[in-house]
Amino acid sequence: MYRGDLQRMLPPLIVLLGMGLLSLALAVSIGSVPIPPGEFWAVVTGGGSELHRTLIIELRLPRAAAAFATGGLLGVAGALMQVLLRNPLADPYVLGLSGGAAVGALTAMLFGLGVTAVSGSAFAGAMVSVVLVFGLAHGTGSWTPTRLLLTGVVVAAGWGAVITFMLALSPSEQIPGMLYWLMGDMAYARSPWPAVTVLVVACVLMLPFGRSLNVLARGPLQAAALGVSVRPMTWTVYAVASLLTAVAVTTAGAIGFVGLVVPHMLRLVLGNDQRLILPASALGGGILLVLSDTLARTLLAPEQLPVGVITAMLGVPTFLYLLYRSR
Amino acid sequence: MGYKIISPARVLIVALLWLPIVSLADSSTEPVCVHDDLMRLLCLDEPAEKIISLSPGLTELLFAAGAGERVVGTTSYSDYPEAAKDIPRIGSHNRIDMEAVLAAEPDLVVAWISGNPTEQLRRLEELGIDVFWGEQRSFEDVAHTLERFGRLAGSEDIAHPKAAHFKTEIAALKARYADAAPVRLFYQIWDDPLMTVNDEHLISRAAAVCGAKNIYGDLPRLTPRLDVESVLSKDPEAIVVAGMGEDDDSWLDPWRRFEGMTAVKRNNLYFIPPSSIQRATPRLLEGMKRLCAHMEQARERR
Repeated sequence: MYRGDLQRMLPPLIVLLGMGLLSLALAVSIGSVPIPPGEFWAVVTGGGSELHRTLIIELRLPRAAAAFATGGLLGVAGALMQVLLRNPLADPYVLGLSGGAAVGALTAMLFGLGVTAVSGSAFAGAMVSVVLVFGLAHGTGSWTPTRLLLTGVVVAAGWGAVITFMLALSPSEQIPGMLYWLMGDMAYARSPWPAVTVLVVACVLMLPFGRSLNVLARGPLQAAALGVSVRPMTWTVYAVASLLTAVAVTTAGAIGFVGLVVPHMLRLVLGNDQRLILPASALGGGILLVLSDTLARTLLAPEQLPVGVITAMLGVPTFLYLLYRSR
Repeated sequence: MGYKIISPARVLIVALLWLPIVSLADSSTEPVCVHDDLMRLLCLDEPAEKIISLSPGLTELLFAAGAGERVVGTTSYSDYPEAAKDIPRIGSHNRIDMEAVLAAEPDLVVAWISGNPTEQLRRLEELGIDVFWGEQRSFEDVAHTLERFGRLAGSEDIAHPKAAHFKTEIAALKARYADAAPVRLFYQIWDDPLMTVNDEHLISRAAAVCGAKNIYGDLPRLTPRLDVESVLSKDPEAIVVAGMGEDDDSWLDPWRRFEGMTAVKRNNLYFIPPSSIQRATPRLLEGMKRLCAHMEQARERR
């Protein structure tokens, strides 16, 4: 990376990092139980009452961290998919991955299995979907983004039908839990560590690919002409994006909108340089989901909203404003 | 001589000195233990002072078991008895506000296995809160839960007679309608989609006590979804509907246009307030008595 690039990219990333830390601080300090600042500080410095310690350290902190990591995963996966498919409508779920995961998760719920089984089953469903879409799109002929996209969209529609079928036949007392999963809900997140680890590893791994991704974004022919080995590159990007999405979906269900809109928002503000957009999407996705989850927990407390509702409510106006302002 | 006379007064003093120790040993009691409906042994060091209920039905059961004053938090729609409306809310039964539960510092949380999110209940247990996992699918379950809540809340002197009364009343209804001619009944619990219950459901069991035969009793799912044609082809002798409120019998109206149906011809169209028969609580008796009276009327109209 050139010195000039670094100087150009560092400030926005530092600003986003600062906003990320602020959003985390906000998420940890707000909840349906008000904790006065003095008490909050006592907990931070290792004191405070047992109740406040439990609330902050056992409930809010892991949940905020999981939300940040999940949002980051979705942001990066969305950015990668948009580059890979060269389609602005692409999001992490466009190739049917969330549908496969949902069928897995709902099946586990139907059998009354616990959280671990639901997560495992969701991950397995996501992987099945990935292999299915890629295998079918590859087929016997050549491999094009359009073909991949169409295969993905149709497979997603197939999963959608299976999901509707399962919802129609599920016992009514299980339906709310299933709907919450489909809308995305951070209450499912147990430990933030898998999501955080995968996000950090993926960001570090994708960093050297930034330049090649920039070229790939202009089209496979140009990329090949400029010396990028297109096929292995596409496979890698698709595999990484799928893995990131699968981990995100496994952590908190099918949270929509983050993966679609966060990379676009950042491109409108920062320009389309993947070396900047990828880490920025990680931070931006994290910020959006942490803020959304904080609102979901507190807006109608003690009633709890699924976070997917809020991501769209926050994201839609922000995105429309940015789009309107840009020429 | 040489005997030391032990005066009665002295015996008394010695006895009195011991008394507090003895009674202390008595009241520091062994823990109260019950099996919940996952068949796990739940033990509290002493009867629970602060209880959180995670469904309207459980709240009702706690009040019936004499533990109503100890309920410090409950879910939305906990509307019975009147006092339940003033209890602070800690979310809805399908999403619990964990912070609100922890902040209430309960000694016991009573939960609904098939209605509450399992992962949240497990989380509460991990945070060191005692959870009673409950599920009431039969009349015996209702009585047994009352007894167990009485034990957990130290209000057995209220809960046990309540449970006994409930059992006797059920037995009386059973005896009364044991030989009654069966009435072919369609029980509608929802209108769009049209939904009924199978014989596993408490409502169908209640109907069976009244001598009614649920025309959809054999269906595999607890709350099957149906179409109108199927109901027409089964031609029930009586139709009972729930509704959106305590006196909203509007779900009966769509049936009236099918004048060929036996239930419509004989005007055996009945409404039973959903809360009096859909919750597994002692109030079930009220709904059952109403249902039995309706079935009796349907027999008279033959």
